[in-house]
Amino acid sequence: MRFMALTQLQALLLAAVTAGTVIGLYFLKVRHRRVFISSSMLWQRVLDEHVKHSLRERLRRIISIALAVVIALLIAMSLGRPQIEWLTGRTQRIAIVLDTSPSMNAKTADGTTRWQHAVARARDLIDGAGPAAELRIADTSGETAFPFTTDRTEARSNLDMLSPEGTEPQFPMLDMRNSTVYLISDGVGLRDVPDSARRISVFEPAENVAITAFEVRPVPVNPLGYEAWLEVHNYGKAANVKLTITGSAKDNITRDLRLRANDAFKELLDLSGFQGGTVTARIETSNDALAADNVAFAYLPIKRRTKTLLVTRGNNYLETLLKVNRYVDLQSTTPDKYRESPDIDAYVFDRFAPPTAPPKPAFVVGAAAVNWLRTPQGEVRKPSITTWADNHPLMQYVPVHDISIERAAKIDASNLTVIAASNDTPLIVASEKPRWVMLTFDLNSSDFALQTGFPVFVENVLAWFNREQLAVRRPPGEIEIPLANAEVRTADGKAVASSTQLGSTVFHTNEPGLYIATAGDARLPIAVNLTNPDLSNINRSALKENTAPVRTTSWLHNELWVYMVLAALILISVEWFTYHRRITL
Amino acid sequence: MSSAEVTLFDDEFLKKLEYLNIMSKRLFTGQMRAKRRTKKRGTGLEFADYRSYVSGDDFRHLDWKAYLRLNRLILKLFEEEQDLPIYFFVDSSQSMNFGRPAKLDYARRVAAALCYIGLANLDRVNIISFADGVKDELPPQKGKGRIFKIFRFLSDAAPSGKTNSKASFRAYCTKARRRGLAVVVSDFLDHEGFESGLDVLRHFRHDIFVIHIASHEEIDPQLTGELQLVDSESNVAREITVTPSLIAAYKAEFARYCESIENYCLKYQLGYVRTTTDFPFEELVLNVFRQGRFLK
Repeated sequence: MRFMALTQLQALLLAAVTAGTVIGLYFLKVRHRRVFISSSMLWQRVLDEHVKHSLRERLRRIISIALAVVIALLIAMSLGRPQIEWLTGRTQRIAIVLDTSPSMNAKTADGTTRWQHAVARARDLIDGAGPAAELRIADTSGETAFPFTTDRTEARSNLDMLSPEGTEPQFPMLDMRNSTVYLISDGVGLRDVPDSARRISVFEPAENVAITAFEVRPVPVNPLGYEAWLEVHNYGKAANVKLTITGSAKDNITRDLRLRANDAFKELLDLSGFQGGTVTARIETSNDALAADNVAFAYLPIKRRTKTLLVTRGNNYLETLLKVNRYVDLQSTTPDKYRESPDIDAYVFDRFAPPTAPPKPAFVVGAAAVNWLRTPQGEVRKPSITTWADNHPLMQYVPVHDISIERAAKIDASNLTVIAASNDTPLIVASEKPRWVMLTFDLNSSDFALQTGFPVFVENVLAWFNREQLAVRRPPGEIEIPLANAEVRTADGKAVASSTQLGSTVFHTNEPGLYIATAGDARLPIAVNLTNPDLSNINRSALKENTAPVRTTSWLHNELWVYMVLAALILISVEWFTYHRRITL
Repeated sequence: MSSAEVTLFDDEFLKKLEYLNIMSKRLFTGQMRAKRRTKKRGTGLEFADYRSYVSGDDFRHLDWKAYLRLNRLILKLFEEEQDLPIYFFVDSSQSMNFGRPAKLDYARRVAAALCYIGLANLDRVNIISFADGVKDELPPQKGKGRIFKIFRFLSDAAPSGKTNSKASFRAYCTKARRRGLAVVVSDFLDHEGFESGLDVLRHFRHDIFVIHIASHEEIDPQLTGELQLVDSESNVAREITVTPSLIAAYKAEFARYCESIENYCLKYQLGYVRTTTDFPFEELVLNVFRQGRFLK
C-alpha cells in the first residue's frame, strides 16, 4: 500500500496514534449511572451465570474495540489517500496536452477532423487510467491548463471545453518530473516539445490551399492609391484555385490559378480602383481540408489630403518633410503670427505651444510650459529609449531603439499614453482627448529627424490625427488593440465581447474577419487572418508517435479512500445497530 | 398519630377493614364458629366426645342417660375453648423500602388488615418487625380496640438493615412461645436463603402462612445501558452492561426464585400468596382467607 498524501512513516504514525487514541478512549472509565435496587441477590446469580459465559463477553469486548479501531483507522488512513496497485491500478499523474492549433481543424479521410481524433485519443487515455490516476487537461493555446483531478467526469468535461484556436501552438509549462505528459497533436507548427513528453499523433495527410499573406499598403508613387500583397500556397497535390478579391462596392479581382504541389502564387495587386472599406481575399478549390486559411481580410482607408499648419521659428527637417508629403497641404507661420484657423486639419508646433489648446489635433515637438500640455519638471540628459509601444498606430514601421537624444524634458505622463520612454522620463506621449502627440525632446538635440523612421512617424501622427488607418493585422486568438475601453464589432456590426487591460482592449476570436474597434472619436480596423505558412502547411508534421494509450486494469473505479470512507460508514451503522441492541459495547 | 400512620391507615383503610371483617365471616359461616378452638379437651361448653370413666374423673361429666341404656359409666368430653396466637412477622429490612408503593407500606397494610381480623376474632395477635434480627415486637394484643396500637407499631417500623430471616425467627421463637399461626410478610430477598428461616418456624411447629411481596420494578426492571447497580441493603455496587439477554436472564431467575418459594410452601403444606405492590391489598387479604388457613 502506498499513500499519495503521506509518507510511509507519516502513515504509520497516523495509524498508531489513531489506534492508540481509540483504544485509550475505549478503556477510559465512563462513569456508570448509579441505580439502586432492592437486593443484588438475584442479580448476583445472573451475573455469576454470565461470567460462566465470559468467553462470549470477552468476544463482545474484543469485537467492539476492534470495530472502533477499524472505523477510526479507515477514516484516518483515507486522509492519506492510500493506493493498492492491484485494486486501484497504478498511481500516476497524467497530463494530457491537446494541440489546439488551427491545423487541428483539418478534415481527415473519415470525414471527421484531426481535433475529433485527438479528443477520442484523449478519452482513451482518461478511460484507460486507473482510478488512482490524477488527470490534468491542458492545451497549446497557453491559456488553458486545468488542475489535476481524479474525477473522470470532470476530466472529460474539461476536455469538452477545449477547441482549436487560431493561435500558434506552444507547449504549456507543466511540471514534467512528477507526471506523465501525453501530447496529442498533428505536429504542425508545434515546436519545443519536451523529450519526456509522450507523443500521440493524429496526423493524416490532407489537401490544403491557403492564403498565406494578404497585406494592403499604400502605393509609394501614388499617395492616394493602395496595393495588396497576396500569397497563395498549395500544400497538397496540384489543384485548380479560383481567387477572388472583393471590395466594399462591386470592386473585385478574380484569378483562376493552377497550382502544382507545393507551388505558390505571389502577386502584388493594385487596389487603386477600390473604394474604401473591407477587402476580402478568398480562394476556392476542391477537396480542401482546412477552411480557416481560405479567406483573408484587409481594410482600405479612405484617403484625403490633410491641411496642416506648421508653427516654427525655422526647422528645415519638418518643413521639408511636410512639404514633400503628398497627403499634406502645408501652411507655415511663426509663433508670433500664430492664429487659430477653422480650415486647418492639424497643427504642428515646433518648440512652441499656444497658451490654449488648438481646436484640431496637434503635434508638439519639444516640451512647453502651457496648461493643456504637461509642464516640464526638469531635464534628463542623454536619455535612451528603453520601452516603446510596438502595437500603437504611431509606431507602425518606426524603429526607435537606436535614436540618440541629447536631452529631454521630464514630465508627468499620468493619464497619457506613453509611446516611447527612457527609464527617467517619457519621450513620446500621446493624448486621446484632446488629441495631441508630444516629443519631450527637441529635434535639434536628437538624431530622430535623421532616422529613416522619422518620416513614417510623422505620417503616422498625421494619419492618427485625421485619417483612417490601415487595419492592424492580428492572428486569431487573444487580440490586444491599443485603444482603451474600445467597443469591438465585426464588419457587419455584431458586437464582440471585449475587456480593457492595462490601457488596451482585449478580445478573443477564432474566426478570421475584419473587426472595428471604436473608442470615442477613435476608430481602428483590425484584420484577423490566419495567413501563417507554418500553420497552413498541414502536411508538415514533425511529430513522431512514440507511445500508445495504456489501459490500466483495476478492480475499483474510484480512489481507495472513497471505499474506505464508505466502509467506515457501513461499520458505523453496524456498530450503532449492534450497540443499541447491546450486541456490542 | 404520625403522618405515616395517617397516610397508611386512613378512614378509607378502616372502612376496608370492616368490609374485610364482614367478608371473612360470610366466607366461613356454617362451617365453624368464628372463634378458634383447639384440639385440647377441656371445660368448654361444646361437646366433643365420649370415653369410659376411669377413677378420678369428674362425676359431673358422667352421661347418666348412656349409663341407663348401656349399663356402663361413660364420661362426656368437652372441647376447651382457647385463643390462638397469631404471629405476624413483618420484614422491615432495607429491601422492603423498594418499589412504588414501597413493599414495606404494602406489607404494613396487609399485616394491619389481617391483624384486625385476628383481633376481631379474639385471637392473640403478635407483631414482630424483623430484618437481620428482631427489630421490634408488639406484645400479644386481643380485641378490636387494640388495632390503633397495632397501627402505631406498624407505622413506626422503619426500613433498615439486611434480611436474615433465620436469625430473626430463631431469636423470636426460642423464647418459649406458644405454637400458633405464623404469618410471614416479606420479599424473601434473603442472602442466607428463605428456606432456613421458614425451617425455623416449622421446627417450632407453627402453622405458617407466607405472603410474598414483590415490586413491579423487581419483576420487570426497566434498565438499559452501562449501570452501577447498588444493593440497597449492603450498598455493594456492581457495574454491569444491561443487555436484553441479561434482562431476560434476570427475569427468568426471578421467576425461578418465586417458584422455589412456592414449591417450598407446597412441599411443607404452608399457605402461600404472592403479590405485587400494585395489587389491591384487600383482594390479597381475601385471597388469604380463601386459602382457609387464616380463619378456622
